[in-house]
Amino acid sequence: MQETDPEPEVRAESGVGGMSRRTRIVKKLTFIIPVTILSTMAIMAIFADLAWLGFPDIGLAPYDPLKQVLRDRLMPPFFAEGGSTAHLLGTDKLGRDTLSRVIFGARISLSVSVLVILITSSIGTVLGIVAGYLGGRTEAFLMRITDISIAFPAILVAMLLVVSMGPSFTTVVLAISILGWAGYARLIRGETLKLREADFVAQARIIGSSPVRIMLRHIFPNIVNPLIIIMTLQIGLLILVEAALSFLGVGIPPPAPSWGNMVNDGRNLIDLAWWISTFPGIAIGLVVLSGNFLGDWLRDKLDPKLRQL
Amino acid sequence: MVRFILMRLLQTLVALVGITILIFGLVRISGDPVMMMVTASSTAEDIENIRRNLGLDKSVPEQFLIFLKDLSRGDLGDSLLKRRPVTEMIGEAIPNSIRLGLPSFVFGMGGALLLGVLGATRRDTSLDNGVKLLAILGQALPGFWVAIVAVYFFSVQWQLLPTSGLGGIDHYVLPVSTMAFFLLPGMMRLVRSSMLDVLDTEYIKLARIKGLPESLVIWKHALRNAMIAPLTVAGMLFAGIITGAVIVETVFSWPGVGRLLVEAVTARDFPLVQGITLLVAVLVLGINLLVDITYAYIDPQIRYQKT
Repeated sequence: MQETDPEPEVRAESGVGGMSRRTRIVKKLTFIIPVTILSTMAIMAIFADLAWLGFPDIGLAPYDPLKQVLRDRLMPPFFAEGGSTAHLLGTDKLGRDTLSRVIFGARISLSVSVLVILITSSIGTVLGIVAGYLGGRTEAFLMRITDISIAFPAILVAMLLVVSMGPSFTTVVLAISILGWAGYARLIRGETLKLREADFVAQARIIGSSPVRIMLRHIFPNIVNPLIIIMTLQIGLLILVEAALSFLGVGIPPPAPSWGNMVNDGRNLIDLAWWISTFPGIAIGLVVLSGNFLGDWLRDKLDPKLRQL
Repeated sequence: MVRFILMRLLQTLVALVGITILIFGLVRISGDPVMMMVTASSTAEDIENIRRNLGLDKSVPEQFLIFLKDLSRGDLGDSLLKRRPVTEMIGEAIPNSIRLGLPSFVFGMGGALLLGVLGATRRDTSLDNGVKLLAILGQALPGFWVAIVAVYFFSVQWQLLPTSGLGGIDHYVLPVSTMAFFLLPGMMRLVRSSMLDVLDTEYIKLARIKGLPESLVIWKHALRNAMIAPLTVAGMLFAGIITGAVIVETVFSWPGVGRLLVEAVTARDFPLVQGITLLVAVLVLGINLLVDITYAYIDPQIRYQKT
């Protein structure tokens, strides 16, 4: 009986047939809302100013994020008592405009994430495919390194690097990337193992395709889905790591407006000026939630088997 | 099994040597750590002295040999800031870290098991949705932010609990709960999904058909098998504990290893940073080895497959 009549909850989750109208709308929203939020953040990051086009005075941010106006310091946001529309989200203890800093912060926080994702996914994919396809000693060796890298706290590497290189954008990206590839390698290797014995791979081998060609043309296209899912899920995680590093003083050095820096700036003023760390905190939360939801949505859509990612 | 353990032990040793080289290299990546220790008023002679004291006037391979020799005697050098042996400082901080980490681990894991199992067995009830929401929030909110907000409400606004430092049981409440909250969501998600998989298997159906009480089926038969998946990520969990310790100890001024590390980094005290990193590396490798052996013990397939 069970084959013909799957449990209703299974049916609802796999998205076939009996999905109620409400569930379908909710599912759609878990795609539309995160995409909207992430695109807004991306637009903020790109158009914070147009200095990269040669117009430093034009942009979304109303003020220079580093400009201090001590006369206007600790102004509350416009909707709170004593706030003004000149500084919509208020100002910090040095009179810098919170809204402008949040907008420029998107540029810093998102570019760290995107760069790290690009670096780690490339390294991890190459190593994962090579390990999974070649097997044997190569695989054993690569997977040992992967295990250790996954278990090693990234925060320590970051601190080690900061002590030797000094804090900077490059240090942060490097510090997170040194170990970050390992998660990709483990997943991609698992996927490759499944594909290695597939018929089309065997056929390619029989007609004499080189291993490199097989890995590139036959295996890689088939692991793109899980790769995209894990890359999406990483956005949020990396934003959190960057924020934590900034909080500990080993991230992007101040006065650069990274969201982590801003939360840290407002830390001791939280009873006096809650808006300084609340708005960047909300920005962090929104991006992380969006990344996670979008990743979950993609996983349901592309590869429902990967439930544990 | 003996062969498996020996192989793993050997691999761990090789990895340890590799990591030692890596740490040694990373600390010296900038070429000259001395330049970060000197102030504007230091003379060329001062710089030369520091360099000689640290053995930095020798060639890099020579430095590495000296470093290894000291290391084999358990000597990690002196802290630049406090002028005390690094091992001594770390040794003083370790008990404090354990005092914080152990209860956090117990509460975090206990909570994760309880909520994960309840979520899986009462699927799609309001309890399960609550569990899912907690997991989503726990993974989206920055740990340090949660800690700051907790301090603001419980210590500053309502004055119920102390803001920071060591002390009686009330000093433990906030740091332990923040850190447990830090560990809980990921593990809970894993227990829940692995439990769902197990509850679907034939042997659980059999146990139910046999007429075993439902509580026994869930908490003994199912949970035992559902624990294998979370065990494989025990290594990652340890990384989480370290990260959590660094952040929580910093927010609550808890004199443990995590806070010592942050202080060392702020002061650019590189022997101290190097020492703590090495210690953690040894712990990470040790735990990985232990997990591998336990895992092989539980699941014979691995024993034969991976050696």
